[in-house]
Amino acid sequence: MSPVRSAALAVGLVLALLVAVFATRDSSRDRMTTHLVGGVAPAVVGMAVDGSIWDLDDQRGRWVLVNFFSTTCVPCIEEHPELVAFAEAHASADDVRLVSVAFDDRPAAVAAFFAENGGGWPVLVTDTGRIAVDWGVVAVPESYLVTPSGLVAAKVAGGVDRTGLEDLLDQVLAGAS
Amino acid sequence: MSRRLTWLVVLAVVVGSLVAAEQAGRPPLTNADRVHALAGDFACPVCSGQSLGESDVPIARTIRSSIRTMVDDGRTDDEIRSVLVARFGEDIDYTPGGEGLTGLVWVLPVLAGGAAAVGLGLALVRWREGRSGGQPPRPLVVGGVLLVVVAAGLLVARTAGQRPTGGSLSGDIRSSTRTLLVEAGVADPEEAIVLYSQVLEVQPSNAEALAYRGWARWRNGEGLSARSDLDEAVAVDPAYPDVRVFRASQRHSDEDHIGAAADLVVLDGLAAPPIVGDLLAASRLRERIAVGLASDGDLLAALEVLDSGLSADPENGSLLAERGWLLVLTRTPELVQRGLDNLDEAVVVEPGDPHARAYRAVALATVVGRPGDATVDLEVFAAVDNPPVDLVDLLVGMGLLEG
Repeated sequence: MSPVRSAALAVGLVLALLVAVFATRDSSRDRMTTHLVGGVAPAVVGMAVDGSIWDLDDQRGRWVLVNFFSTTCVPCIEEHPELVAFAEAHASADDVRLVSVAFDDRPAAVAAFFAENGGGWPVLVTDTGRIAVDWGVVAVPESYLVTPSGLVAAKVAGGVDRTGLEDLLDQVLAGAS
Repeated sequence: MSRRLTWLVVLAVVVGSLVAAEQAGRPPLTNADRVHALAGDFACPVCSGQSLGESDVPIARTIRSSIRTMVDDGRTDDEIRSVLVARFGEDIDYTPGGEGLTGLVWVLPVLAGGAAAVGLGLALVRWREGRSGGQPPRPLVVGGVLLVVVAAGLLVARTAGQRPTGGSLSGDIRSSTRTLLVEAGVADPEEAIVLYSQVLEVQPSNAEALAYRGWARWRNGEGLSARSDLDEAVAVDPAYPDVRVFRASQRHSDEDHIGAAADLVVLDGLAAPPIVGDLLAASRLRERIAVGLASDGDLLAALEVLDSGLSADPENGSLLAERGWLLVLTRTPELVQRGLDNLDEAVVVEPGDPHARAYRAVALATVVGRPGDATVDLEVFAAVDNPPVDLVDLLVGMGLLEG
C-alpha cells in the first residue's frame, strides 16, 4: 500500500473512532447534572422561612431529601403535593426528612406558597444562591437523596412523585445493604 | 547560507514574540473585569450556546454572583475554575482541560501540525535529493508559506485583536488604569468624571468606571448622561452591586420607585460586599424607596423591597421599624398589630434606634390609644443625640414632644 493511502486510512480510522466515542458519550447536560452522586453532600445551612436556622449536618443518622424549587416554576408546583404525601408517609417513622431550598425566590412568596399548598418541612430562604451553586443545581426542581452518613445517594432532575421517591429509596437501601 | 539563516532567525523571533505575547495575556483591570472575563469562560448550564456572561437565567446570575464573591475573596482564576468544574462538571468550562477525551482538543492540533511539518520536511528532502538544479515544486513552496502565514496570522489576530487602545502588544496597563480609578475615587465629581472617562477610553466596557462616572455625573447634576452611564454599566455587568445602589438612588430621585426597588431586589441576590450594606444603611435608601412606594399606594411593593432586605439581614432594626411603621399607617387593626410586632422586634435588635422608638411611640399613643406605653420610647428618643429632624417634626406634630 502506498504511503498516501496508508496515511489516508489512518486518518479515516482516527476520525471514525472519534465520532464513535463522542456520539456514545452522555450529553453535556447529563454530565453536568450527575457528577455529585456518590460524593459528600455539600453544606446546606441557612435560615428557614419560619426564622429558624437549619443545618444538614444536624440530620446525620437520617435520610434527607434536599429539594431545590421555586414558587414560580410549574414543575415545582406540580411536584409539591407529591412531596407533601412523601413527607406525611414518613412523618411517624421520622426516617426521612425533607428540606427545601427556595431558589431565586422571595421569602414572602415562599411562606404564602407553603401556607396555601401545605408542607411542614423547613424551607431555606437565605444563602440559597450559594447553596444551589454548591450543589451544582442547574434547573429547578432538583432533588437529592442524602444518606444518613452524609453522602449524596441519588439525584432526581425535574419533578418527583411519591411512588418514584419510595422506589428510589428502596433501590438505594437495597444497594447499601 | 548566511542569508537563509538570517531569515530563519527573523522568522523565529517574530513567531516566538507572538507566541510569548499570546501566552502572557492581558490581565483584567478590576474585579468587575475579572468577573466579566471569567463569566465569559464558562457555559451557562441550561442555555444553548450562551456563556454565563451572556445569559440572564437565574442559575447564570447565581453562578456569576458566586464568581464575584470568590473574586472579591481574592481567589485566583484557576481556583475559581476548579470550584466551578468540581460543582458543575468539566463541560461548563469553555477552556478544555488536558485530561481525558478533552485533552484531544489540545493534542490533535499539535499532532496535525507536527505531521504537516514532518511531511513538509520529508518532501523538501526528497526534492533536494532528486533535484537537478531547478526550482522546488511550486505546491511545496506555496504550502510551506501558507502554513507559516496562517499560524502567524492567527496569533496576530488573537493578540492585536484584543489589544485595548493605548496598550502595547505585550503591555500590561493594569497599573495605569488602576491608578486612575483610585485617583477618581477621591477626586471631586468634575475631576472624577475626567478620570473615569480616561479609563473608559482605554476600556470602554469597564463597569466600575461606567458606574462611578454615572454616579459622579449624577452628583454633578448631569442627569441625562448619568442615567446613560448607569444603564450601560448594568448592561455590561448586571451583577455589579455598586451600580445597582447608584441606579436605585438615581431612580428614587427620579420618583421611579418601582425601578429603584427592582435594583435593590437584584442587589440583595448578589452577595454584595459589606460596604454596600453600610452605604444603604447610612442613606436609608431602601426605607425611603419603600416610603415612596407606599405613598404611591403600592404598599405590597413597599413591603416586598423591605422584606428583600430583611431576607439578607433579618436583624436590621431600621428595616423592621420602617416595615412596622408602614403597616401601622394603614390603621387596619390586624395590620396595625403586625406593625407593632415589627416595631417591637426593631426595638429589641436596636434599642437606641430613633426611628423604631419614634414610630412606636406614635403608634401606641395615637393609633392604638395607649399613650402611657409610649413614655419609655419617648424618653429613649429624647436621649438620642441629634435625632433626625423629620422624626422630631413628627413627634411635635403629634403633640408628643415639645417644639
